[in-house]
Amino acid sequence: MIKAILILIPLAFVLTNCVSTSSNIPKSEAYKGIYDEAPLSVLIMPPINNSNNVEAKEYFHSTLNIPIANSGYYVIPPFLSMEILKRESAFDSELFIDGSLSKFQEVFGADIAVFTIIHKWEKSGLASNVYVEVEYLIRSTKTDQLLYRRKTNATYDASVSTGMGGFLGAIADLTASAINTAATKHVDVARATNAFTFKDLPAGKYSPEFGTDRGEMADKEEITTTITKTKKKY
Amino acid sequence: MKNWILAILVAVIFLACAPQKPLYTWGNYEVSSYSYLRDADAETLEKLIASYEEIIANQKGTRGEVPPGIYADYGFILIQNGNTEKGKEMLNLEIANYPESEVFIARILKMLEE
Repeated sequence: MIKAILILIPLAFVLTNCVSTSSNIPKSEAYKGIYDEAPLSVLIMPPINNSNNVEAKEYFHSTLNIPIANSGYYVIPPFLSMEILKRESAFDSELFIDGSLSKFQEVFGADIAVFTIIHKWEKSGLASNVYVEVEYLIRSTKTDQLLYRRKTNATYDASVSTGMGGFLGAIADLTASAINTAATKHVDVARATNAFTFKDLPAGKYSPEFGTDRGEMADKEEITTTITKTKKKY
Repeated sequence: MKNWILAILVAVIFLACAPQKPLYTWGNYEVSSYSYLRDADAETLEKLIASYEEIIANQKGTRGEVPPGIYADYGFILIQNGNTEKGKEMLNLEIANYPESEVFIARILKMLEE
């Protein structure tokens, strides 16, 4: 009996760790529009930067394609599309966030557009911490409907190194890059925040899980979390 | 006996919650794309090109395919730096691998002809 309890305690801990960010709404309901439209091509819009970090826009943009592609979507080439958006004077997503997106379907073949609003991206409290507050909005280029909205408030604690790292630590470990200067720490936290947020995106057509994740519980629309730095694999 | 069942259950849950093997591997792309955006000099360009080559040549993701956008962005970087021939080849490979890219990439190829 005691042995069973000793096993059950860590089991309960792991379960809690695993589901603590979930809402009790299934993905099929939370992201109904995504399942209905089954989009394939994703255009990453230039981020809207409301933070004090002047370089945030381009740097944050460069952290978005990997998690979306790894979720099974076709991501329209980020460097090339950024260049064309600049040339077409469409570099300010503020102009499009509420408007018609049919032009992006016509020019880029995009089914959906991913808007991000960087509310904060700064050092917090202790010198080694970075705080990020990002809102993610996915809109259909066909219907202009909002299909996905998430807001993630993440504190990246670069001072602590844990052995296990937990679920978030593991994600940070997987996605964060290896160099550890002040600037890359900002990029690290952006990557970890994106990976954390987009793990909730319904699987796209290139994923073996496409269409099978309807019953999973969606994450809460707004999440505050701490991402802990873990030992990097070189 | 019961302990065995519990132990297996624990292992399954650990596995279920652990990050799965990704669809694609990206080599050194995270670091090199960021460095190139930051500096855009000869050294960071060389490293970004090396990352593209590595992703194309040595893909270890579960799909076993080059990730979306890699051929096209590599082509774009090559064209920007004067290697138009190989650049166009890469843009065409993007269309061949991802037919949904044709709307956009064909437009780029047409712009290059003008």
